[in-house]
Amino acid sequence: MIQNINSTFTGGGVAEILSRMLPLLEQLGVDARWNTIKGSPEFFQVTKKFHNTLHGRQEDISATDFDLFLEVSQQNIREMELNGDIIFVHDPQPVTMVSRKKEIGRRWIWRCHIDVSQPNQKVWSFLEPFIVQYDAAVFSAPSFSHHLPIRQYLISPSIDPLSDKNKELSQQTIDSVLEKYAIPKDKPIITQISRFDYLKDPVGVIQSFEMVRKSIDCRLVFAGGTASDDPESEKVLAEVNERAGGNPDIHILLIPPESDVEINALQRASTVIVQKSHREGFGLTVTEALWKAKPVVASAVGGITLQVKNKFTGLLSYGIEGTAYALRRLLTNPEYARWLGQNGREHVRYNFLITRHLREYMLLFLALDHPQDIIYL
Amino acid sequence: MMVEWLIDNWLKITVPVLAFLGCYVVGLWVRRVIHNAFERWGSRVRWQGSKSVMEAVHRPFLFWFLILGVVIAIQVSVVTPEVKSITTRAMGSLFVLSFGWLVINLFGQLLEIYLPRLKARWPTITLAKNVIRATVVIVCALIIFEIWGIPTSPLLVLIAVAILAAALVLRNAAPNLFAGLHLSNTQQIKVGDYIKLETGEQGYVTEISWHNTRIKALDESIIIVPNNRLLQFTVVNYGHPLKKAIEPFRFQSRTYIKELTGLKAKNLRELVDTLKKVPDSVIYYHTHHFLEEHHYLIPEPSNDFAIWVNDLLGEEVLGERLASVNTFEFPNLGALRERIVVIIENHLAEGCNAREAMPGREFCFMKSVSVVIPTPYVAHDLREFVEALRKISLGSLYFHVFESRLRLGRGLNDFTIWLQDSLQENELGEEIARLDPYTYTLEGLRSAFIQLIEKRIQ
Repeated sequence: MIQNINSTFTGGGVAEILSRMLPLLEQLGVDARWNTIKGSPEFFQVTKKFHNTLHGRQEDISATDFDLFLEVSQQNIREMELNGDIIFVHDPQPVTMVSRKKEIGRRWIWRCHIDVSQPNQKVWSFLEPFIVQYDAAVFSAPSFSHHLPIRQYLISPSIDPLSDKNKELSQQTIDSVLEKYAIPKDKPIITQISRFDYLKDPVGVIQSFEMVRKSIDCRLVFAGGTASDDPESEKVLAEVNERAGGNPDIHILLIPPESDVEINALQRASTVIVQKSHREGFGLTVTEALWKAKPVVASAVGGITLQVKNKFTGLLSYGIEGTAYALRRLLTNPEYARWLGQNGREHVRYNFLITRHLREYMLLFLALDHPQDIIYL
Repeated sequence: MMVEWLIDNWLKITVPVLAFLGCYVVGLWVRRVIHNAFERWGSRVRWQGSKSVMEAVHRPFLFWFLILGVVIAIQVSVVTPEVKSITTRAMGSLFVLSFGWLVINLFGQLLEIYLPRLKARWPTITLAKNVIRATVVIVCALIIFEIWGIPTSPLLVLIAVAILAAALVLRNAAPNLFAGLHLSNTQQIKVGDYIKLETGEQGYVTEISWHNTRIKALDESIIIVPNNRLLQFTVVNYGHPLKKAIEPFRFQSRTYIKELTGLKAKNLRELVDTLKKVPDSVIYYHTHHFLEEHHYLIPEPSNDFAIWVNDLLGEEVLGERLASVNTFEFPNLGALRERIVVIIENHLAEGCNAREAMPGREFCFMKSVSVVIPTPYVAHDLREFVEALRKISLGSLYFHVFESRLRLGRGLNDFTIWLQDSLQENELGEEIARLDPYTYTLEGLRSAFIQLIEKRIQ
């Protein structure tokens, strides 16, 4: 039995992947379960700080924060029933669950979905003693790996092409969503879909758009939701709204959870998709955009570089000006943009669909018991 | 008294007797003439059933002339009309019975000759003989009833119902039987032919029975196709088997998971130092993973070292030198590693070591853990091999061409080794070995192999 443990059933890429992955594992005859840890809002504020600092952002983390984290973790360790043959722990929030390994044995995997290429050393040093107790760690990009005494694997996340967020939509559905959010179709649309999070650089997106808007008449749609384990998003939303300053060509949309068809429609209605993140675990919104054969401009961070092969499957950028320049190139060269979009779709077809993800998880379970480089079945 | 009657009526007796004897003699003569003519025809057309026909007809033929003699004798005699009528009916009945007996015998022998050719088993032959017997007996009975004036309508209704029931039961079998006979006669498809149906099934025909045709597929499973369907499909017949291999080729496939070593390099010195100590599987990964990950796009004969040096360090000259390393030229990973190390060290010796990658953009050393999986595809000859080649996954193609040659250290791709060792197709094996697989997309490579093999088969 595979027991998955994370911090939330809704919101964010981890919950989304698990909700799609588990039924497929079940269909393959793998008994897969999913548990979440419990925690107070204060606990999740601390884990959010961990998240930000692991991504490299400066945050003030006190000894009290670490104590609170350990205290709530201890509570979860005591209360959660651990009955999986393989215990698959996702992200730092439940990382301490491995403390029970000595007591119960089993195989333990830590699946890190976030960009830990340049983590805050204080937080990383705090987490590392837990991480090294696992049998293996899994990262979403090569640069996230560290010198660790355990085996580390690279498994990219994935999208489900048949889900509401990625399935084909009729033009009528797309138009109705645009109508609902009062987005006219009179100009090219640049879209970023992401949570309201500083790491997604929403203000930077607006600045890039304003630079493009000087020479090309277009609209910006910034649409996102919030995750239950992210207490910061409302503050970011307020700042973004203030920065947009009532510009009629900028549409800031707070999309409620379970609005997958609407996100799908917004992506399909877009001329170009942008993902100007400062840090990105993998960037599933980029995968979604590529699957829809949309030209993409994205920051060269984290797992995005696995998806956007510069000038082949999209354009990579490193700053606000670079993003604006890339957007202008795509808006003024629709044929080139279409070619990039088609390549992007093929790249996702072969490398980032859930079937590949499922296969790699199965191989990971297999590799836990086979230390050699070539395994003959 | 008796003598007097004979003297008075000698003519009334003599004529019928003479008529009877005349029929007997004519019968003997006609039988001989027909026998000789049939024997000549049989030896000319070499029909296996001709002997059976002659043996079956020999006795009854004379018997029928005797019956004819009795009927004529009775008709020319002075017996009462009632006696004549009864005798004629009796002789008619005898003729019908003997003819029925002949038909049963003859068809029994012909079925024993022909049904085994359709691979029909003994229970089927016995069933077919019994069906013919029953049919003949019923038909004879009906005719005899008619001769004697007995009403046959109720019996006919009963028979019609029985035939209808039988037709319903055999509605599927009958078309297959006829299709089997057609296949057998036309020889369009024979045992041993390699056929491909429009529905995709393919393989060697191992048996054509009266009901279905068995095909041994590429995965060694047996496909059973009803004969009737076989005639309806478009079938490509590649003809007889080609030369069999000493050992069949068993296709394997390969999938992999990427393992991170945790080792990173931020400049050329660190890159080359790490390159010297990492295992071969790391060299293999960084010079091959693009083949699978980007096979849909273009052949990309490059390697991660060249891309990183060029794109992240901005060392375009070194990037070009590394990109131009032809992986195909190297017999093993050790030699390939050595070449890459020499190129970087030569560049460093020219005094170019200043550039460093941005934080987070270091070169990350990785390796792949391969999982080799058996596939159901097995080839015993070139036809099976090329057809399997069309069907195998790209992972399988990749394994036999790239992984086996360099990572497993076999020196040659698996196809060439099999063609030369098991099939003695040295020239074809060499042609395949000469093909540089790094300059093709995987689908392009598959097409190139298929083209070479098809050319050889023709």
